[in-house]
Amino acid sequence: MANQDLLKLTISEIAPMIRTGEVSPVKLTEAALAKADRLQPTLNSFITILRDQAMDQAREQEVAIARGEYLGPLQGIPIGIKDNIATGGIRTTVGTKVLSDNVPEEDAEVVRRCKEAGAIILGKENLEEFAAGATSNNPHYGPVHNPWALEHIPGGSSGGGGANVATGVTFASLGTDLGGSVRLPGTFCGVVGLKQTYGRVSQRGLLVTSFNGDHIGPMTRSVSDSALVLQALAGYDPLDPSTVPVPVPDYSAALERNLQGMKMGIPSNYFFEMVDSEVESAVRLAIEALQELGVETREVSLPSMEYSGALRFASMSDSVVTHEPYIQANREDYGPDTLYRTLAGQFVLGRDYSKALKVQRIIQEEHARVLQEVDFLVTPTAPVPAPRIDAKYITLDGAEHRVRGPGSGIISRFTSPENATGLPAITVPCGFSKMGLPIGVQFIGRAFDESTLFRVAQGYEAVSPSRGRWPAVANQE
Amino acid sequence: MAISKDTLKAMIRDFHGFELSDSEMDLIAPELDAYLSELEKLRELDLSKVMSSRLIKADEGGQADG
Repeated sequence: MANQDLLKLTISEIAPMIRTGEVSPVKLTEAALAKADRLQPTLNSFITILRDQAMDQAREQEVAIARGEYLGPLQGIPIGIKDNIATGGIRTTVGTKVLSDNVPEEDAEVVRRCKEAGAIILGKENLEEFAAGATSNNPHYGPVHNPWALEHIPGGSSGGGGANVATGVTFASLGTDLGGSVRLPGTFCGVVGLKQTYGRVSQRGLLVTSFNGDHIGPMTRSVSDSALVLQALAGYDPLDPSTVPVPVPDYSAALERNLQGMKMGIPSNYFFEMVDSEVESAVRLAIEALQELGVETREVSLPSMEYSGALRFASMSDSVVTHEPYIQANREDYGPDTLYRTLAGQFVLGRDYSKALKVQRIIQEEHARVLQEVDFLVTPTAPVPAPRIDAKYITLDGAEHRVRGPGSGIISRFTSPENATGLPAITVPCGFSKMGLPIGVQFIGRAFDESTLFRVAQGYEAVSPSRGRWPAVANQE
Repeated sequence: MAISKDTLKAMIRDFHGFELSDSEMDLIAPELDAYLSELEKLRELDLSKVMSSRLIKADEGGQADG
């Protein structure tokens, strides 16, 4: 099989070939690095490519496999890491000029777990400045380009990872999701993006983030690969008090079961309001496809979502506190979108912060109640397909909305509420716009029940109109 | 609800925040407008009886831990 074809396999497909020695981790990593070099001028998906380290890791894993030391399905698999996740001894910029020389001493816990599973770290991936936005238009390291339409955004903030997975540069990339930053690149780049339950995966080593609702999660080319990566990442970390000591099930065991008799909830409010007609049509078709697979439909109401905009009070305040030490010393090194959005947070009153936390609680309770009646919820992942890189506004329902910077938030309208509930949510490709831009459907599940989400997502993936499609740039020689 | 720029700037200056020029205040205005608009929506919502928050419990989902 040619290298280009090997890079288009999923982890589930290639892992058995690595195990038997049919595919060499060294040759696979060489091929992935060559593709990364080839596409970097087009996609700008990396901040740092780790050529020497990746080749050293690949050689180590190849020798280990030859000795019979098989570690599991991630062994010998090239992956990417978002550049706000600490890598010991390797520059971790968080997408900002302020930290352009920052070299952490230790790996983040998720990086340690990936290395322990034998994964090969190909590089540190480009992102929105400080991971604070949905575009990945980085003012210091340049914008990441959407592989399906290069003049469009890949989504953010984990845009480099989305672009790399969509083009076969990496088999999986680790992103971070504080308001949709894994799921939005997932939907805009046409890949699977998972935000698992808050507390399932350690955040230790995730740099310059809010203390309320961030998650490190995988982007992959299939649902089964998402399950494999979560298997490696999940688990209690005694040094991260946000993790919860619960058993981690065998996620792959939940796959390939039929969906007959499951119940899906279709929100009657909020989640299908202010949504582009092409997106709504694609998601409605996904719902019909699930019905044909035997899933029962119930309309559900989440009336408190009317107040979900208040959730931003807490994130505004968190942001200004998080950035305080950096802004004080390096205000002139900030891009204007991040700087002025962050500085607005200092005007949030404590009283209003408390209100936001109460609204968060009400929304959590409402989701918990609804998820007693149904097994999962279905929503669009984003209200629009990927906007252009140069777009400052998008128009929805006749009104203009800011795409980035102060006052923005429209793109994460359907993803950010689940950062507040902490519930697991996954995006799966469900078709394309007339322009050829990917569209994603989001499934939301019960706390710590990612297995059900994987089962549903994989069942749908098998009939999705997106299956088997690749962006033309992925074939660039 | 409108708060004048001078009031906002004075509040921040007095509480050891970041000083902002008039032109910078204009740049952050859309974020503040969104904040104030969402705050207005909350006016009718009774938040006085909301229970205290807590960590998510495993038995809300499929795998309870004993």
